Amino acid sequence: MTAPGRVRAFLRLFAIQGDWNYERMLGVGMGYAAEPLLDELRTRDPVRHTAAVVRSAEFFNCNPNLAGLALGALARAERDGVPGEQVSRLRTALCGPLGAIGDRLFWTGVVPALSALAIAAVVLGAGAWAIAGFLLAYNTLRVGTAWWSLRTGLREGLQVGGAVGRSWLPRAAERVGPMAGFAVGLAIPLAGRWLMQGLAPTVMALVLFLAVGGVALSRWGGTHYSAVRYALVVLILLAAGGMVML
Amino acid sequence: MSPLDPTTLLLLLAWGTVVALDLVSVPQAMYARPVVAGTVAGLIAGDVTAGLQLGVLLELFALDVLPVGAARYPDHGPATVAAVAAAAGAPWPERLGTAVLLAMLLAVLGGWSLQRLRYLNAAALHGRAAALAAGSEPGIRALQWGGLGRDAVRGLLLTALGLAGALLLRAFPPVAPRLQALLAAAAIGCALAAVAGGAARSAGRGPRLYWLVAGLAAGVMIALRLG
Repeated sequence: MTAPGRVRAFLRLFAIQGDWNYERMLGVGMGYAAEPLLDELRTRDPVRHTAAVVRSAEFFNCNPNLAGLALGALARAERDGVPGEQVSRLRTALCGPLGAIGDRLFWTGVVPALSALAIAAVVLGAGAWAIAGFLLAYNTLRVGTAWWSLRTGLREGLQVGGAVGRSWLPRAAERVGPMAGFAVGLAIPLAGRWLMQGLAPTVMALVLFLAVGGVALSRWGGTHYSAVRYALVVLILLAAGGMVML
Repeated sequence: MSPLDPTTLLLLLAWGTVVALDLVSVPQAMYARPVVAGTVAGLIAGDVTAGLQLGVLLELFALDVLPVGAARYPDHGPATVAAVAAAAGAPWPERLGTAVLLAMLLAVLGGWSLQRLRYLNAAALHGRAAALAAGSEPGIRALQWGGLGRDAVRGLLLTALGLAGALLLRAFPPVAPRLQALLAAAAIGCALAAVAGGAARSAGRGPRLYWLVAGLAAGVMIALRLG
């Protein structure tokens, strides 16, 4: 696999969900990203190349930030001439673990932690710089992870599962959760205080009443409750009632 | 409150489209987070403070959302751009409630449109089933670029609708100050409910819960010190 091919595959990782659908999920995006990595097979073994391209766009799903691990490992397996059925089994086997670790690390860890820290920084006076810091921190981590993922996948091939288990990923996923909990906890009172600036005490009481009511509903309101639905109902009722009465 | 000129509206439309694409398709760099989308929209509309305030408020709603796989979730990005367009230039918290109402409606519509997009992508997949089965690389490329194009159109239409709503709100704002105050209070209360409910759910009963409580205590202490 050539260096330009690896770079092209790496760049295509950022659009891995470009054709997300309910049938193949990330499959087409994986096929698109795999194209530069499979190029070498085209002249060496055209029959294998065609079969590898077909497999590359089959069903796949995982956290997009860790898709490089699967992409690299599958491309390496194709290059090494691993039987097609084994490549497909590896593809299926990677979906669950890469989804679970990636979602824990990014969607319930890094993203809420950095977003909450950005909120706290805005409240403490950092202004738009807080947003620049958020983007820089997240994208540095995410681009670094994508590059590491692709390289690890290409290096390990069929052994990628073990490599992930021994890597920093499981430990980081475990540790980032409490950090996110702390950061979100920190941001809630700071954001509340900041947003309520200038409101009359009676209006603040209404804010607290609605906040407590919403939390109670989210806990005991069942599956029909969602924060957006709650906000829509409250705002529409108040707007309609207010226009009639005021 | 000065009107939004055509150049500003075009820039907001372009930014809203970028933000909509960022949520799932490309590049997932977190431009779609309300705190980012709102701040940049505020810069474009000439009112960074309104962008930051609405961005922070709508980010509290976004913190309740887990954007995983096949789940259906609201699209807060273009909604935030529209909300900032509706409120830019007005004194805080005037227009806050109506801007958030517009954002919530648009976020729900955005979530629905995302689901429709996924069905459209699947239909395109069926149309190229033979090419995929034959290992056609141009077929894969066409599907990928088709998916990206459809999402861009989705983002463009969603933002255009949101900006139309924002222009209406700017032209016909609710006049009663007490109603504005009530709606602002409702928006802030619901946002705090969203983030607190989501944080409690994510924390469960493990160590994350203790860290959440520690963070809350630290936040309250800092808020009290700030006065």
